[in-house]
Amino acid sequence: MKRINPASAGIWALFLLLTAVPLVFSLVYALLYSFGLTGVLAEGFTLRHWQLFFSEGRFFSSFLFSVGVALVSMGLAAATALWWVLRYRRALNSRVMSLALYLPLAFPAMVAAFLAFHWLGNAGLLSRIAWQLGWISEPRQFPDLINDPWGIGIILTHYAMATPFFTLMFKAIYADNRVGELCLAGASMGATRSEQVRRIALPLLWQKARPTLLLYGVFVAGSYEIPLILGVQSPQMISVYAVTKMNRFDLNTRPQAYIIALLFTVIVGGLLRWGMGRGR
Amino acid sequence: MLRTEDIAKGFGTKKVLRGISMEAPEREVFCILGRSGCGKTTLLKCLAGLEQPDAGRVMLDETDITGAPPQKRDILYLYQEPLLFPHLSVFENIAFGLRIRKRPEAEIRERADKLLEELELSGEGEKAPHQLSGGQRQRVAFGRAIIVQPKVLLLDEPFSNLDAQTRANMQVLFRKLASRHRITSIFVTHDIREALTVGDRFGFMDGGTLENFPEREAFIKDRRSGAREEFDFWNNLFDHGKQD
Repeated sequence: MKRINPASAGIWALFLLLTAVPLVFSLVYALLYSFGLTGVLAEGFTLRHWQLFFSEGRFFSSFLFSVGVALVSMGLAAATALWWVLRYRRALNSRVMSLALYLPLAFPAMVAAFLAFHWLGNAGLLSRIAWQLGWISEPRQFPDLINDPWGIGIILTHYAMATPFFTLMFKAIYADNRVGELCLAGASMGATRSEQVRRIALPLLWQKARPTLLLYGVFVAGSYEIPLILGVQSPQMISVYAVTKMNRFDLNTRPQAYIIALLFTVIVGGLLRWGMGRGR
Repeated sequence: MLRTEDIAKGFGTKKVLRGISMEAPEREVFCILGRSGCGKTTLLKCLAGLEQPDAGRVMLDETDITGAPPQKRDILYLYQEPLLFPHLSVFENIAFGLRIRKRPEAEIRERADKLLEELELSGEGEKAPHQLSGGQRQRVAFGRAIIVQPKVLLLDEPFSNLDAQTRANMQVLFRKLASRHRITSIFVTHDIREALTVGDRFGFMDGGTLENFPEREAFIKDRRSGAREEFDFWNNLFDHGKQD
């Protein structure tokens, strides 16, 4: 019989206690709350909250909006980062470029949202610059890039935050996996530059970056501060929607916040499982 | 036939190649022996187009290819390490060059399967490169190179990372495949036994210069090749064994 190392078992137990146990506890609590079995509104088992939740029908539009924002902002950021790494890899190694890539990572999401607010708004810096240059006759004519129904401000802010991170990640994967040497081997076999990128560099970088990209996608879809500051009342991103339900004066909406959290966890968990499985 | 005229190459102030002239005859293995740091790898990279020489010319079948990019030369460079594409299966690694050339699927299947068999890798086609042993990986790299039937194959100490037995097996396999596929190749090594096992013609490289030997005997007799010392070593060992 296999012997269990007590030290290793202890570390595992502590790890589970700090990670899995709170998560499972929260999910069970949310489930019980949504069925009226716990919390200040506990009234015994009921499906009323679920019926109210589905009759309102805002969850799926909010969920799709969140996923859309994540896909667009990450797609743009990943494409930009890939282009930089494949085209300007050597320049990225300079001290100035390293600083330029690492510095944005130090900004909290809330600071990034405020910066976007000051730059992209109707009365923001960009609108004033455009007005000074004579491109628009008054600042109000500047297109609405924040608090807009398409989430452009949210997308641009996430794009600005994700691009340096993805650039550093792709750069590290490129070096660790000797992608440059593999491309040279491909060139020696007759692959053109675009074939080296399509058949060697991109599939390799995608294969290695896939888990991080998926997890970052979940982070963006579930982000709170940026859509709170730059978003609109409808459609709301999922975290803002859930917190709105949670903090309303009417406590009857609180179980619906738990339902949102539950459904988001289940759907994202399923998507992650599917996504990670396909990568193997 | 591959021919070079006075190839020179330096990095900064260091001159690595000093006027290299040589001829690699068609369908023969031209073996270059030399110690580490003598410029063997730089010479091969200049031939493959992975480095640009500072002076001199590279001629392939009397066409000047000195400035041609690697993918336009029909010269294939095999690294010291197999450098297999980790995201592709063994089969796809071997088929890579044919896919680049957009050959029909049936032809790719047939040729890759046949080569897998020749390389004693039948049944390994669906595996990932990391699931193979070092010798198997080097065989895949070799198969990936010869399937496109390059005009010249450049081998940069391809078996140096293998254990002695696997290395000996690979040398024999290389000889067999080189003559079966009638490959013109330049093989660089620092091992005299390997050179004599795989080579038809020989050169000795030292300090960025190359001396060509017209005959195998002249190469063996030259003190710098180390063949004499190798021979003496085994002779002495054998004599001592008999005396004991």
